[in-house]
Formats: sequence, structure tokens, C-alpha cells
Amino acid sequence: MATITANITLNTDITNHSISESMTMKKLGSTSGLDNATGIALKKFTSTSAVAVIEQDEVTDSKASKVYMRNIGSSSEDFFYVAINASAAAATTVETIGRLYGGDWMLIPYEGATNLTVTPSIANMTLEYGLFYE
Amino acid sequence: MATTTATIDITSADLGISLNASTNLSKTGASTGLEIMDAGYGEVTVAHGGKALLEASQVAGDRDTSNYFYLSNKETDETYYLIVKLHDTIVGRLSAGDWMFMPWNQGDADAEISITATNGTCAYEYAVFKSAYTLVDRT
Repeated sequence: MATITANITLNTDITNHSISESMTMKKLGSTSGLDNATGIALKKFTSTSAVAVIEQDEVTDSKASKVYMRNIGSSSEDFFYVAINASAAAATTVETIGRLYGGDWMLIPYEGATNLTVTPSIANMTLEYGLFYE
Repeated sequence: MATTTATIDITSADLGISLNASTNLSKTGASTGLEIMDAGYGEVTVAHGGKALLEASQVAGDRDTSNYFYLSNKETDETYYLIVKLHDTIVGRLSAGDWMFMPWNQGDADAEISITATNGTCAYEYAVFKSAYTLVDRT
């Protein structure tokens, strides 16, 4: 059994309420930790074509998988669309999660029933990503 | 201008993973910080079925832009988890003690975030950071 820990801190001066949480990634309905990770990978997109970065057949559906992604760029204008879709990620794709601008990251639970597809807004952007699964 | 910083670190000595990342949450296409935070606590039960936690229509006119969503399952019993959906699509299952953080597209008025408890009563904490807010019509 592996131990994978993920911590988040959301510091804001909008209010005095900042958030700090820690989790140990566990199998669904279990106290046992997730055993597997793809490692943290980098992918450079040489065009603006959509790419299925996480494919549904990499994990068992309906478990406690998690996906991390980060736009390692620094631009406040260029972004990645991220979608739960077999092959597309755009503004109106069903179901687009959102945009990752330069420096933005996300960590989500992943159902595993559909690919996670990413589309860069311009060519030559790089995505950092990792998959954690049972 | 407000400043909101989201920081993550993921570590696993067993799997040789160590990363740290930080970002300032900004308005679309700009370096100006987001100015609105909507946060709260709640409980959802199995009997409730699927409940819309946040409606995409609250941000009409500013969809598909810079909105960020945080959710934490505050339970401690590992058999209590939340199924998180974007409209009709399951994002994933959030176990007791787990959290998630993601951008929120709100590409259409139906792109609400909903949660369903799978056992008993699940307490949760949520927060949304955004740049615009459309007030609903008075009744």
C-alpha cells in the first residue's frame, strides 16, 4: 500500500476565510491508500489539436482515481481547455471542466468512464499531469 | 485588487513523487485578481438524491471564463463519499476527507455542479472564486 498525500492552501484577501486541507488518497470506501500513479509527466502540444491525455481504459470506472493537471506556462491569455470527453475540449463541449491559464492547476476525482481531453489555445504549450489510481 | 493564491503539494515517498505548484487566480486574459468568493458548509443525505450545489446561471454573461471551484468532503467514515457531477457527467467520487479544486467552465446554463451522497449524511465545504455575479430576478 502506498501513501500519497495532497495538500491545498487557498489564501485570499477577499475575506479572512482561507482554506487549508490535507488528504491521503485512499481506495474507494477503504482506509487503504491508492497503489498506483503514472508519475508526473509533461506533454508539449505542437498544435492546437485536442488530445486525450488521460484515457478511460487506464483505470477501473467508479473508483477513487484522481487526476492532477497544470499549465506550466506563465501567460495570462493562453490556456488549455480540459473536458470529460472522448476527443474534444472546447467552450461548449459536453462536458468541459474549464480553462487552465498559465500556472493554473487542478486536482479532481476521476470517474474513468470517459477520456480527459485537453486542447491548447495556441501551439507549443506544455501541460504537466499525473494520474493516481487503485 | 484582491489576491487569491491556490497552492498544492503532492508527495509520496513510496512512489517517488514530490511536486509543488502555486497560482494566483485571475480574471480572464488578465493578471487582475478575482474579486468574489462564495463559500459555505452544508450537509447532503442519501435521501436528498442529487442536489445542485451551484448553478451556472448565476454567472450568466461571464461563463466559460475564470471561475474556480473547491469542494471538500468533511466526513471521516470512508464509506461515505460524494458523487460530483457537471450537469449529467460524473466528474468523480470524493471520499471522506478528500478535496478537489478545478476551473469551472459554465459553458451553458445547465453546467451546474451537483453532489450526491452515497451513504448517510455527508458534510461538505465549498468555495467558488469568480469575477462576476449575476443577481437573480426578485420575486
